[in-house]
Amino acid sequence: MILTAFRLRLPAFVSLLTLLLLAAPFAGLAFMTSWRSFGFTDGDGSAITVSLGYSVLALILIIALGTPLAWWLARHRIRGAWLIDTLLLLALLTPPLALGLLLASMYGPYGPAGSLLERAGLVLTNSGPAFVMAQFYSALPYYVIAARAAFEGVPRELEQIALTLGHSPWRSFVHVSLPLARLGLAAAIALAWVRALGEFGAVLIVAYYPQGIPVKLWVNLQNIGLSAVYPLLWVFFLVAMPLPLVLGLAARRRHLI
Amino acid sequence: MRIDYRIEHPVSLHAAFDVEGFTVLLGASGEGKSLLLQAIAGLTPARGEPFGGMAPQHRAVGYLPQGYALFPHLNAWQNVAFALRGAQRRAHAMQLLERVHMAEFAERHPAALSGGQQQRVALARALARRPQLLLLDEPTSALDPVTRDDVVAELIGEVHEFGIPALAVSHDPHLAAVADRLVLMHDRRIIQIGPPGVVYANPVNGAAARLLGHRNVHHGRIEGARRLLWQGGSIVLPRHDGDVADGDVDWTIDPAAIRLVDARDALPDTIPASIEVRQVIGRVVQLGVRCGKGRLWVSVPVDQAIPEAVAVQLPTEAIRWWKRNGDT
Repeated sequence: MILTAFRLRLPAFVSLLTLLLLAAPFAGLAFMTSWRSFGFTDGDGSAITVSLGYSVLALILIIALGTPLAWWLARHRIRGAWLIDTLLLLALLTPPLALGLLLASMYGPYGPAGSLLERAGLVLTNSGPAFVMAQFYSALPYYVIAARAAFEGVPRELEQIALTLGHSPWRSFVHVSLPLARLGLAAAIALAWVRALGEFGAVLIVAYYPQGIPVKLWVNLQNIGLSAVYPLLWVFFLVAMPLPLVLGLAARRRHLI
Repeated sequence: MRIDYRIEHPVSLHAAFDVEGFTVLLGASGEGKSLLLQAIAGLTPARGEPFGGMAPQHRAVGYLPQGYALFPHLNAWQNVAFALRGAQRRAHAMQLLERVHMAEFAERHPAALSGGQQQRVALARALARRPQLLLLDEPTSALDPVTRDDVVAELIGEVHEFGIPALAVSHDPHLAAVADRLVLMHDRRIIQIGPPGVVYANPVNGAAARLLGHRNVHHGRIEGARRLLWQGGSIVLPRHDGDVADGDVDWTIDPAAIRLVDARDALPDTIPASIEVRQVIGRVVQLGVRCGKGRLWVSVPVDQAIPEAVAVQLPTEAIRWWKRNGDT
């Protein structure tokens, strides 16, 4: 009897344990933050602006370029699809630091693309565009893979029915595919946002300046110590959390679009 | 309306026939019937008329796929209004829902509707575009067997009321029986066209008889002296106008024509049998009777006494047979 009751509750126990493990570092953060001398260092404010502003830009680029690709990959069976899968996995697998190095060698001042773009006035080293580029590269594959899965979940028949009801493919996409894929798309956007905002390695290499929050955390640690890291980290959570949280809640409602 | 379509891929198919009133294209699964509807709706590459070469959104067809494909994120009136434009969308959608007796369910989402109700909403949605042709894919497959006949009657009533020719593809002989016009498809070819009464009375071959749900369609063999050999028994066939060459045949017999006799009487021309199943349909019992490796259905009145050891006698004048040409 007792054994059976235990077995029935086992998933709940394991879940509780997992949640505790997940919460431990943050409980530690709350505990270790010196709330009496809670204060910011020079440049923390601009780091927040830089992170938020460029992350929004990167996210817009990712959605604008990634959504058509994700839909196309979900709807077309093509030969050599494994090559595309490999490319996406490659982009996912590359360690952030290595990604930064690859970007620097391609788009840096001595890189083949970088020297051309520089002549056109677009500097992709230690600049706003460089920052956005690093975020774009690190978050795009996550968005594409999640959004593709979301579109694959939309029954093709419903898109076709929309056509037979007199709607153009574009209207069918907007009124059928998007609303039916909204849960997965919201997750994809949230994922891309989190990846872009938190990106450290790639940004560190190609855009040490302007400094966003992840790089500033590291700089604060080097220059001052942990006491300068925690306050900025709290702010990071505060600014990063609302978008994915609201997206998740809104997408679960029936009428988002 | 004349339909003439040719499909190459994924299966090769050519179908040409007229759609009048409620026309049923009857064929087994895997014949490519659904594919033909998709081709007419412009959803799969094909050549043919009407609507040949047009984009799906420009074809005046109302397409009801199997399972009806209502939009799960929209309620009933929004589903109907999906096909409409303009400020009066909602009012117009409500009118259409009223015509299919679904106005009271206008606010319900598809998940909260029964199969028959979903079908009516899908019908209203398909009609909203004022199509010239309705396409229905297996309209009876998602219906509850208890209410099916009523739902079908309602569907056909509505199709007639709207006055739009409808083509339903199905493998359901019950649906075929209520059609205005019946088209039989076998081996990706049209094998018979006509009013259901005529087609039912005179199927062109064994495959047609099987499609129409005739019970007791069997392979047999005719050998010398007009003897039909089947499951160890043999029956002398009646004189026939055509020549009766030896060979493989499909043959059939009306369940009501078969005589059930006592095996102990040792009558001539009987086939020994054993009763497997009794199916009571109103005042009639259909007996599933095993003869060797085959099964015959015998229809008897519900109060008829059944001998302990049975044999069946097949009156030769009730037997119909068709020569088998290898592919049927």
